[in-house]
Amino acid sequence: MTTSLITPADPAAPVSPGGRKGRPDSRGATAWRDALSIAGVWLLLIVATTIVRPDFLSSQTLLAVTFTMAISGILAVSQALIVISGGLLDLSLPVSLILSAWATVTALNNGLPTWVAIPIGIVTGAAWGLLNGLIVVFGKLNPIIVTLATGFGGLAIMLIFFKSAQIPSTSELRLYGLGRFLGLPNVFWPMVIVIVLAGLALTFTRWGRHLRAVGGNAQAAKARGIDLRRMRLATFAGAGAVAGLAGVMFSAVNPSFTPASGAGFQLIVIGAVILGGISLSGGKGNLLVLLLSVGFLATIPTSIAFFGLAPAWALVFQGALLIIAVGIDGYRLKRTAR
Amino acid sequence: MTTATTTPTPTPPNPGLLFDEPALPLHRRILSSFRGPVGSISFTLAVTLLVGLVWIGPEFLSPSNIQIVGVSVAIPLIVGVMASFALLAGVVDLSIGSMVGFGAVVFNQLVAAGLNPWLVALITILVGAVVGLTNAFVIVRFGAEPLAVTLGMLTLLRGLCQVIVVNAPPSTLIEPLYNVTQGALLGFPTLLLIGIGVTLIAAGIVSKTRIGRKVQAVGGDDRAAARAGISVSKVRVIALVVSSVGAAIGGILYVGQLGSASNVLGTGLEFQIYAALMIGGYSITRGGVGNPIGGLLGLLVVAGITNILNITFIDPDYLDLIVAIILLVAVLVDRLRGGDAFE
Repeated sequence: MTTSLITPADPAAPVSPGGRKGRPDSRGATAWRDALSIAGVWLLLIVATTIVRPDFLSSQTLLAVTFTMAISGILAVSQALIVISGGLLDLSLPVSLILSAWATVTALNNGLPTWVAIPIGIVTGAAWGLLNGLIVVFGKLNPIIVTLATGFGGLAIMLIFFKSAQIPSTSELRLYGLGRFLGLPNVFWPMVIVIVLAGLALTFTRWGRHLRAVGGNAQAAKARGIDLRRMRLATFAGAGAVAGLAGVMFSAVNPSFTPASGAGFQLIVIGAVILGGISLSGGKGNLLVLLLSVGFLATIPTSIAFFGLAPAWALVFQGALLIIAVGIDGYRLKRTAR
Repeated sequence: MTTATTTPTPTPPNPGLLFDEPALPLHRRILSSFRGPVGSISFTLAVTLLVGLVWIGPEFLSPSNIQIVGVSVAIPLIVGVMASFALLAGVVDLSIGSMVGFGAVVFNQLVAAGLNPWLVALITILVGAVVGLTNAFVIVRFGAEPLAVTLGMLTLLRGLCQVIVVNAPPSTLIEPLYNVTQGALLGFPTLLLIGIGVTLIAAGIVSKTRIGRKVQAVGGDDRAAARAGISVSKVRVIALVVSSVGAAIGGILYVGQLGSASNVLGTGLEFQIYAALMIGGYSITRGGVGNPIGGLLGLLVVAGITNILNITFIDPDYLDLIVAIILLVAVLVDRLRGGDAFE
């Protein structure tokens, strides 16, 4: 009962922890099914767009999609770590993103070398995450409410302190953001590395096993001797550091940005996580599926442009997809409970 | 969820007016009312008023200033009170901000197209009901997470607003609606009086009627409620429809007040409203707690701070910072008082 702080929508919905993390083999099967269904829908979208507009299959499209994937993919990993650890959701991610981007850019503008500026950005993200974690752990407050408040307040503080920030146009980081590697944007590759590393760490390290154990059933994990407070603080700080890296990449690809520039990522990232089969109840999730769902969501705006529809339709489709995905997720949980 | 869910909302304010409390000596009643969420929010409101009076002077409570605050707080109040039923039933509805915008856009466009405003108002309310039913269908039928479903609905409706309104929206002036939304009655803004009326009725329903008790029971512990023979699904469907319809009505009122509806109208309104409701004693993560009067006081605190910042020409960004701090303190106080703790 204590793990699910979001009220189950139906009295028949499973609350017993056993129903969710009991059979590891069925969880693996679910991940494969999720991966196949997302890949299938993604392929369907690509085929449909190509039939309407054959010029959709081009290197331009590939560049656009991978470029869109870069930042939202890293942010999605950060969000996924919070969700899998049972921290529900981090609604202050846009603040982590922009705050770290701002820190990086400020360091560069003050003449610090790139190899100092990048760690500064990552550490800023980690510090912001740690702040959230400290409030959650020592206030014993619900992370959704805490990050709602810090997201609000953090944006306000940034708006008070700066109106917009520019990266020096000749800095190495900016040139890196403009460059390509193996035909894809440079910023795409850190995203892939982050997803692979985080995915491996979640599956194969002790830290990852503890993280999933805490997310699946916090009390049981505590009974097995895992220090809950330390785990929560480490997760928030670690997820913050990942968001900090997203901030560094964000500053590399955006010549200038305002404190509110991060707002657009909020829904895409939460949507990608939920669509990727990472349940808000915590404890389960596969980062490979997450990569697929990020790619699928990043393709939608480009497809919409090729269909000749207004860009706003992307929001309509992403919203509808999110509703359908959580509906399916809920239905599946309900069925396994019986 | 294991603690404090079976006990009904303790110690409401204004004893004797709306609530059937056992008769206590006056000083005991006043003291005990300060222990509840509504008590502490009344205290916060009093502090806000005091700060306003000291900083700005007597003009802070002048009729013209009350008119300004009243007009700004009235529509969020009506939307918030209707949405509070969903919170009470344990299903948070994040889509209200976008629904306000979508309702306003639908209403404004159809009126501008020459249809009868009354008919269009009915259509808009029906659209709200359909949105609420869609939310409810996915949440109740499939057992999906309310937060995620309504987040999707928030995105979808905002997208529709931007699809419908691409350039400058048409402006409409509906005489009776303008009079209601901007007029004054006995020196008080008409719309604020309506909003307070809605709040009092809602407070009466929540604390006095069987329907209200059912909603609280479902939000507090849905399994226990189901065992007691309450139809959990029915209560939640109705609560979600009420929430969406309230947002649609809010959209219509905004068109009356502003004379138009842009495609960004209502963006972020859900966060302002829920912050105010949480300051007023509601919870977005567990149902069964909170009272509409607390919601009213929470909104008044936020509106009061906004007004003070406006008059003193302080950067409005400080508002969000102050609201965020008050929100954190409010949930912390609620937790220390015995509200549910995270782990």
